[in-house]
Order: sequence, then structure tokens, then C-alpha cells
Amino acid sequence: MKRFLLTAGLIVLCGALLTGQAKTLKLFFYSPELTDQYNDMARAYQAETGITLDITVNQADYVTLLRAKLNSGDIPDVFMSSAYADNSTYKDYVYDLTNADFMKSLEPSALSGVTVNGRVTGYPFLVQSHSFIYNKKVFADAGITALPRTIAEYGAVAGKLQAKGIQPFATGYKEWWVLPQTAWQVLAPIRDSYAGGYAGFVDKLNSGALKFKDIKEMSTVFDVLDLIKKYGGPKPMESDFNDQCSLLATGKVGIGHQGNWAEGSILKTNPDASIGFLLGPVAGSASKAGIMYDSNQTIRVAKDGSNVPAALAWLRWLTTSAYGKSWIPDKIQQLSPIKGAKASSAQLAQATVNLLAAKTPSYPWFYQMFPTGTEQGLGIILQGYCAGQTNRQQTLDAMDASYTKIVNASK
Amino acid sequence: MTAPALVAILLFVEIPFLMSVLYSFTKWNGLDKAVKFIGIANYAELMTTDPGFGSAMIFTLLFTVLAVAATNVIALLLAVILDANIRGKNVLRAAFYIPNIISLIIIGYVWRFIFSRGFDSFGALTHLGVFQLSWLGDFHLVFFSVVLVTVWQSIGFYMVIYIAGLQTVPREQIEAAVIDGTGPVNRFFRITLPLILPSVTVAVFYSLSNALKTFDVIFSLTFGGPGTATTSIALDIYKTAFSDSRFGYGSAKSVVLFLLILAVTVFQLTAFKRREVQA
Repeated sequence: MKRFLLTAGLIVLCGALLTGQAKTLKLFFYSPELTDQYNDMARAYQAETGITLDITVNQADYVTLLRAKLNSGDIPDVFMSSAYADNSTYKDYVYDLTNADFMKSLEPSALSGVTVNGRVTGYPFLVQSHSFIYNKKVFADAGITALPRTIAEYGAVAGKLQAKGIQPFATGYKEWWVLPQTAWQVLAPIRDSYAGGYAGFVDKLNSGALKFKDIKEMSTVFDVLDLIKKYGGPKPMESDFNDQCSLLATGKVGIGHQGNWAEGSILKTNPDASIGFLLGPVAGSASKAGIMYDSNQTIRVAKDGSNVPAALAWLRWLTTSAYGKSWIPDKIQQLSPIKGAKASSAQLAQATVNLLAAKTPSYPWFYQMFPTGTEQGLGIILQGYCAGQTNRQQTLDAMDASYTKIVNASK
Repeated sequence: MTAPALVAILLFVEIPFLMSVLYSFTKWNGLDKAVKFIGIANYAELMTTDPGFGSAMIFTLLFTVLAVAATNVIALLLAVILDANIRGKNVLRAAFYIPNIISLIIIGYVWRFIFSRGFDSFGALTHLGVFQLSWLGDFHLVFFSVVLVTVWQSIGFYMVIYIAGLQTVPREQIEAAVIDGTGPVNRFFRITLPLILPSVTVAVFYSLSNALKTFDVIFSLTFGGPGTATTSIALDIYKTAFSDSRFGYGSAKSVVLFLLILAVTVFQLTAFKRREVQA
């Protein structure tokens, strides 16, 4: 009897393991603020298909963990990364989605960041935008009706807010990633000054023919960073993402440079907060002030696993099923890259859609074309500038040195 | 009998260490399946054209000097106080030890909160200038903030080492000194301190090697910032390997850090051992 039970138990266990193996897809994602939405999607997928999505979410150490997993052979079936430069970083590991049928249902503009030599290396997950976010109530209370779009106008608005006793900016300068987003937006119209647009610009930087110290628009970048710091409260270098969100939500500051992913955190602090995008000041004419709009967060299918067909089936479901199509606009409340997807009701997503409809300049996240690693490296150098550790000339030299090092290393 | 331990150490310590020495001679981004051997180019770059590593080295050495001195002096002082017959000393010993059992990453985040939000509130209440300074944002001050948190976290551990040492000091010698009319300060420096030198050796050794490797508190408190103001060698290695995707170069830096720690601690151990005396 005992032996029978043992055998039966073993059979059941094996069966469970076997079926479990066939019906589980391992996903490794970042953006923990979306954990609830990820899980909701996994429940819906299981209900419809019986397949379990085992989703691990991490943020701070995501890249490190992903690399450890890839190196040790514990490769997730599906993982995330940035677009552009990350296309080559993970080239040995990703499945080529060029011929996948469901990719035709995506907006072609969303695919530009993941396409290398005509091959589609990833699935654009979200379309996101970043620029200066402002609290509409604070602006109304201070009597500001004309929204700023040049440095001078930003300075005037900041002065007005300060005079009313309101801190004008929440800097976010403690985060190494907020600084480059703020800085590179100023440089965005540079695509018009180089043959081949951003690709031509980045090629020149990569080949060493162009140095940051020779880009005359960099002085405007520094001007913007200085302005934010000047009006960034008593401790501008200690402001992080949470600080920006809570201060914007409660109306203690008027403006902060962030992306539409901040809306959830802002509304969590104050569900009644009314926020919108301002056009970021740029080097060049005021008519070029705009927002940064791109699909950067990319879903990648690992090519070496036995689960490639299952991963493709999941992506097809995400693109074509009723739940999949409404997941990003309704649950995540951001912009979807799927053709004809309905607009989200979120304030910043709406603001983005309206600005785009009004033919306001929108720029791709061209800085993601810089080699992998430069985002953090240059961000930290800019942080040093804002903290007063280096002056403009030293900052530019440090940026050139750091950039050259990373380019040489990635050759 | 030692075979299993030997195997474990080989497998988990020695072999990975040798592998990283091997990687230090290569150009590898940590992901590509192709690893390229480039000889001593990494070491050459490190010595000649990497101001980041140089400033991380300077920061780490200054940090080590201040942290080791402050940790040991304060820990010894606390140990002397809490070794005396005072009321509630067990509770106090526990209180000073507790920070040591909390994860360093958590401690970094807690202090990050104290320095920003906490100090803001204290500043609003008391109007003291000290709370209105930007302890994490000013690139001069932040050095002391990092030292402060590190010392606060680690004194408990060294205090325990010193208390253990103090309890080995024979009572009769102290009593003899009292009868001879030696004052408390002289008693401490002439009798107690020489007798607990073995504890000092151990405590300084541990605090030295920990300070030279410092990483966790800085990682969560400042992430090396603002700019590179608090980037230690270990954090610089982490950023090189994982942010710049230069595994080979990061390995070269860690080999240099290993040699630095080895040299400093061997020097310290020989210097201190020579001064130890027997009761």
C-alpha cells in the first residue's frame, strides 16, 4: 500500500512538473509601478488560454540581474530592455520578430527604435512621452495663463511662482536618469543640423569627429539646468523621483521634468491633481519647443529557449485579442503602439495625443542611440555639474572622455 | 576531514577569483559570447587615462582614514563606558549593536530619508542651520554624511570586540594600579590599552578592509553622487562592469582593489602585532 501511494505520488508529481513546464512562460520585466497591471494581464491570459505567465519584476538592479541570468543560462523566455543601442547589446540572445504576423498590427513609427538593418529585434511595449509637467492649479492660482516655451519665458514663470511663495521646480537631480532626459530634450532639434538626422549626429559622435565641447547648443543645455537649479528649492540636489511626484501632486511646486509614467504616482498622492505637459525649451527657435515621444521600453523574446512559439503566441494575443488591445490604454493608462488603439483617459496621455494632433514638435528619444552605458555615465557627469563639482568646460571634457571610452569599449 | 571545506572554498572563492583575474586581461562586455584577450591594456588604461578611478581611489583612502579612526575611537570609548558598572548596560549594548544587524541597503535608504525629509522637519521646528544644509546634495558635506552613516552602523560590532577584550584584562593589575595611586586616564593608557592591543589589531583590521571595500551604504544613500563625489572604488567597479558594460576592465579594477587591501592590511597586521604585549 505504502509503495503504491509513493508511486502514485511520484506519477502525479511528474505529471504536474511536465504539464507545468509546458504551460508556463517565464517573463522578466522592469517598471514595478506596473506590477498590478502585469498581474492582471497574466490572470486574463491564464483564464483565456490556461497558460501561466510567471512574471518577475525588478527595477533598481534590473540590468545586472538580467545579465546574470543570461550569462548563467537561466534565460527568461521573455525580457525587457531599452530600444536603440540595446538592440545590439542583446543581439546574441533575441529572437528576430521581422516575420511575425502580429507585428503588422503595430504602428510603423513605433518600430523605428527596434529595427536594425531592416530586422525587427523587439516588440515595442509602450509609447511614452517626457517633458516638463506642470500643476495646472498652481499655474491658475498664480495667474499664469501663457505657458512658457523658451528659457526666458520659463525664467519669468519661475520668478512669478517664487514671488507667490511657491517653489517653481522640483529638480529630480538626485536621479541620474532625470538629468539626461532634461538635458537631451534641449538638444532635440539638432536633427535638423546634421546630414542623416540623429543617426548622422550620433555617428559623428561615435567616430570622434564631433565632440560635446564642439556642440554649441550645449551652452543652452547648461542654461536650462542652471535655471532649474536656481529655482529648485533649498536642496536641489536631493530631489528624487518620489520628491518630484509628491511635490507636484500637492501643488508645493509648479513644474518638474518627468514622463507620463509619473502620473500614477502623482495621482496616488493626490487623486484630484490636475497636470499637463509644457513644451520643453530647446536650443533654437521657440517654434521648435516640443515634447519627447517614443516607444523605448521593449519586449524581447529569447531565441534559444524551447518556449519561443509560446512567447510568440502570447505576443499575438497581446496585440490582437480584445483584452490585449485595451490593456495599455485602459489598465496601464498610457499610449499603445497598436494601430487604431483607443486613447487612454490619463491626463498626460491625453495631453500627448492633443499636442501631437496640434502638430506640436515631438522628438524621438534619440539619446537612446548613444552606446549603452552612456546614459548613466553622462547623467552622473551632468549631476556633478549641477552640484558644482565641475564647471562647464570640465563637464564637457569629462563627457567627451567618458563617451569615447564607452565607444571604444563597445567596438 | 578538510577536503569538503577545501572543495567548497575552491569552487566558490578561489576559482571565481582566478576567473576574474583572467577576465581582467580581456575586453568583454559581460554578454557577448566572444571574449577578446587584450593583454595588460586594461591595467595600462587604469594607470594612465582614467580620472574616475583616480578620484574613486582618493575618496576611498580619505574615507578609510576617517571611518577607521572614528569607528575605533568611538567603539572603544563606548566599550569602556559599557564595561563599567552602570545601570542598563545590557540594554545599551543591544541598542548600539542593533544597527549592525540591519541590512546596509536598508540603512542607506533610512538615512536618505532622515537627511532629506527628517532634517527638513527638524529644520522647520528648530531653525538650526545644521539641518538646513544639504547633507546629501553638497559635494563637500556628503563625504561626512557617508562617513557618519558608516560609523553609526558599524560601531556596535567593534564595541563588542572591545568589550570582549576589556574583560580579559586581569582585575588584580587594575587594583594594584589603583592602590599605587594611578589615575583613571593613566590606568587606561598605561595598563588597559596595551593589554587589549590584540582586540585593537582585530578591530582595526576588520574596519580597514571593510572601509576599503565600502559599497552598500553608498549605493543606497548617494549612488556615488552627487556627480562622483562619493564614488568608492567598489562602486566604481560596479558601474564599470554593469553600467558601462566593461566586464574585463571592471575585473582589472577589482584585482587592483584586492592588491590594495592586501598590501594595507598586511602592513597593518605586522605593525600592530609587533606592539602587542602579554599580561
